[in-house]
Amino acid sequence: MNQSRPRRPFGLRAYAGTMLATVVVAAIAGAGSAIFGEGSGWAAVGINAAFFTVAMAAGMTACVWWWRGIDEAAREAHKVAWWWGGSGGMAVGGVILLSVVLPDEGAALLEGLSGPDLFAAGMGAVAGCQVLGYTIAWAVWWLRHR
Amino acid sequence: MNNRLKVLRAERDWSQADLAEQLGVSRQTVNALETGRYDPSLPLAFRIARVFGHPIESIFSE
Repeated sequence: MNQSRPRRPFGLRAYAGTMLATVVVAAIAGAGSAIFGEGSGWAAVGINAAFFTVAMAAGMTACVWWWRGIDEAAREAHKVAWWWGGSGGMAVGGVILLSVVLPDEGAALLEGLSGPDLFAAGMGAVAGCQVLGYTIAWAVWWLRHR
Repeated sequence: MNNRLKVLRAERDWSQADLAEQLGVSRQTVNALETGRYDPSLPLAFRIARVFGHPIESIFSE
């Protein structure tokens, strides 16, 4: 077992820095996709896939670095938030989506959206609910463990 | 699980931040440990025992 003095765990500054770096990489990938990935055909698909793969890999690398730097209670809070908040958010989002989309009124709400728009809207709605659930579960964990 | 962290820390006149720094965790984690709302992992329990110079079983009890 390592007997040396442990280093201080990451705090808010490291989190903000990680998020900022991720946003910058995402913006670069988005700009690159907009400039070079426009148009149709498999070449455009490949260019977009390349930009977003690099961006996601960079984001995941940043997450791994940050995850290794936080302490075990902070990790536990995120594990609980991922399971309960993410699952709960997805369940709530699913109920909302099905409630809106299945009745005829839902069709009117979605009128004018193309196939890709609908796909992105559905994914975004569920992901948004998951993030909201995650945030709530994370905050509840820390409030209960104060 | 119960523990004597708060007592042991008070005996040494350490703040939660002092103990957190020695353990390599956040002050919030030390607070959660002291209030019994969070049970440490085995590696952290060993670190706590080493910092206080006591065996684990004299610090933590069921």
